[in-house]
Amino acid sequence: MRHYEIMIILDSNLEERTVQPSLEGFLKVVTTDGGKVGKLDIWGKRRLSYPIDKKPEGIYAVVDLTANPGTVQELDRQLNLNEGVLRTKVLRPEHR
Amino acid sequence: MAKPPIRKPKKKVCVFCQERIGYVDYKDTGLLRKYISDRGKIRARRVTGNCTRHQRDVATAIKNAREMALLPYTSTAR
Repeated sequence: MRHYEIMIILDSNLEERTVQPSLEGFLKVVTTDGGKVGKLDIWGKRRLSYPIDKKPEGIYAVVDLTANPGTVQELDRQLNLNEGVLRTKVLRPEHR
Repeated sequence: MAKPPIRKPKKKVCVFCQERIGYVDYKDTGLLRKYISDRGKIRARRVTGNCTRHQRDVATAIKNAREMALLPYTSTAR
């Protein structure tokens, strides 16, 4: 089990209310596999420094979690398959 | 012709070493903005005065932030 930090940029056309439940839906993969989801921090709408997919804005979210490497890979794959997700980044904050 | 006086450059001390910051967070754009020029380029070590290790950490943090569109790759503000 390792500690990960995942940042997700979602499409700003999504309803802000639906963001939390949809993210929790994604994170079910982690909990069913025995991992733990820590802090789920939704920054809300933010201007992008440059357009991604011709969109000037995105909804940012940062998730802290502990899980097996395979699970995180699967989570990242599923996120990227979703059309509402513009970009993701998986990091191990302690790993330097 | 009078020679211009030779200026001794003042030795800069790495801010991160002084503050004892171990991890440079890519999400902290306010901090990272101090280390990019108005064109969006990463400032050189001779400008920032960072030590080798922290300059590298700052550079990777900026690159991570750029990938997530937190910082610009270029900005044409002129």
